[in-house]
Amino acid sequence: MTMDCESVRRTLGAWLDGEVSEKESREIRAHVEACPSCRAERSRLERLQFVLRAALEEGASKVTFESFWHGIERRISQGRVRHREFWDWLRPVILPRRLAWAIPVTVVCVLAVLFAEQFFFGLGWGPRSNVAAVESIDGHGFNLALLRESETKTTVIWLFEDEDEEEDEPAPEAASTDASL
Amino acid sequence: MAPDVKEEQRVIVEPSDWELVRKCQTGDVGAFQELAAKYYQKVFMVILGILNHREDALEIAQETFYRAFRKIREFRGGSTFYTWLYRIAVNQCIDFQRRQRRAPAEVREAIDELLYERGEHGTDPYDALEGKEVMSRLLAALNDLTPDHKAVIVLRAVEGLSYKEISEILGCSEGTVMSRLHYARKKLQEKLAHFL
Amino acid sequence: MNRLQKLPRLTLLCSLLLVGLSAPLGAAEKAPQGLHLRIGTILASNESEDFDPKLSRMKNQLEVIKYSSYRLIKEEVQKVQWRLNAVFEVPGGRSLVILPQEYRNQRLALKVRLLQGDKPLVDTTVRLRNRGYFLLGGPAHEGGVLILSIFAMTP
Repeated sequence: MTMDCESVRRTLGAWLDGEVSEKESREIRAHVEACPSCRAERSRLERLQFVLRAALEEGASKVTFESFWHGIERRISQGRVRHREFWDWLRPVILPRRLAWAIPVTVVCVLAVLFAEQFFFGLGWGPRSNVAAVESIDGHGFNLALLRESETKTTVIWLFEDEDEEEDEPAPEAASTDASL
Repeated sequence: MAPDVKEEQRVIVEPSDWELVRKCQTGDVGAFQELAAKYYQKVFMVILGILNHREDALEIAQETFYRAFRKIREFRGGSTFYTWLYRIAVNQCIDFQRRQRRAPAEVREAIDELLYERGEHGTDPYDALEGKEVMSRLLAALNDLTPDHKAVIVLRAVEGLSYKEISEILGCSEGTVMSRLHYARKKLQEKLAHFL
Repeated sequence: MNRLQKLPRLTLLCSLLLVGLSAPLGAAEKAPQGLHLRIGTILASNESEDFDPKLSRMKNQLEVIKYSSYRLIKEEVQKVQWRLNAVFEVPGGRSLVILPQEYRNQRLALKVRLLQGDKPLVDTTVRLRNRGYFLLGGPAHEGGVLILSIFAMTP
């Protein structure tokens, strides 16, 4: 069965590209040889291919390999420099001798811990201990003793009002930390 | 078994290309330079056909080879080297076109010169003026195609790649390649109806 | 590349900013509306061996002060305002003046003064955790000594 013009034109490009079966190829060839219209179509396709290739070849012919390679080589060396620079930057970060980042990081961590406590009361670590911190103390001429008992974490400020009585007074050793009386 | 498959795959690569690829994989820039010398013109032609802009094409072609150099350790020889290279090139073009759109202009200058020279020497099948017009319209028509359609027609025109190879490069079926080619040619013929 | 080199500096800058911001943030901690102060006055002596049952919860602690007898003679609770003096009468013509200064990091700062009439005996500034307390002892009273238990709690 011979092919009609429409089916031939649908596959004419593929036939020229050598992408049709042997049988199909024979049929198309027979049709094209016999059909002036399809022969003209074949010719147009071939010219199209020629013009396109010629244009691109001409465009490429102006590019010398030396200049082209120079562009690639530049990219390769820049890539290596970038790579090296990255490691140069990373090395002091990794090596302990130049832990420049450690200072800010430590500051940030400490602040994070301190402020997490403030903002998240549920964390529960609260004040470090029950021990009252005595910031200043003035006995106005009297003797004073400041006692801090570690086991019960108690702070006692003891006032020795009278020197005569002082000898009789037993020195306190510790006091309570219980929250209620 | 897997090792046998790998051996089979390697056969696809031309021995000389494969040899150079292996050297490149050990960091041999000289071997890569040989591969670049072999393929740079065709890669440039394909990119020029898709982008239709000389400076952009040059930039993208060089970027294509640079990326190929960086990724060459990943190349296992499952396809031909140039198929792999064209795949990188086409992807680069598509990425580039997504980033920016350019009006075609500069390839036309090259074609004008080509036609002028051929007309002068009497080797061109067309009259110089007619040929200029044809190519000018061809480029305008090419520019109306989508990057996918441009890619198939350019890959076929430049390298004469099989539909199978083009389908591997573009990541589509051979049927899609055939239909895209048919469509692209039809569109170009319509635009150049009076000149072809 | 410059951007990479600047990174540690940026980190430093950010941390300094954080430090800068931390001060107002810390200050922004909302102080509770006033606080409760509970002052217990305990008479410790060696005249007997009685131990006031009201002080049973403090027994272990008080015993280490080495007196044989402890008696709670007074307990007073006041709700006081920040930065306003609160005065507690202490037996023997004494008074305890407490000025709640600030509340920060869940700690209360109290300025505490023990006076004999107008004469200051002790002047101290103490930081306590919320619901914490400390002891101020020593003034002689009725053959023994007074121990003041100063307890502070936010509402």
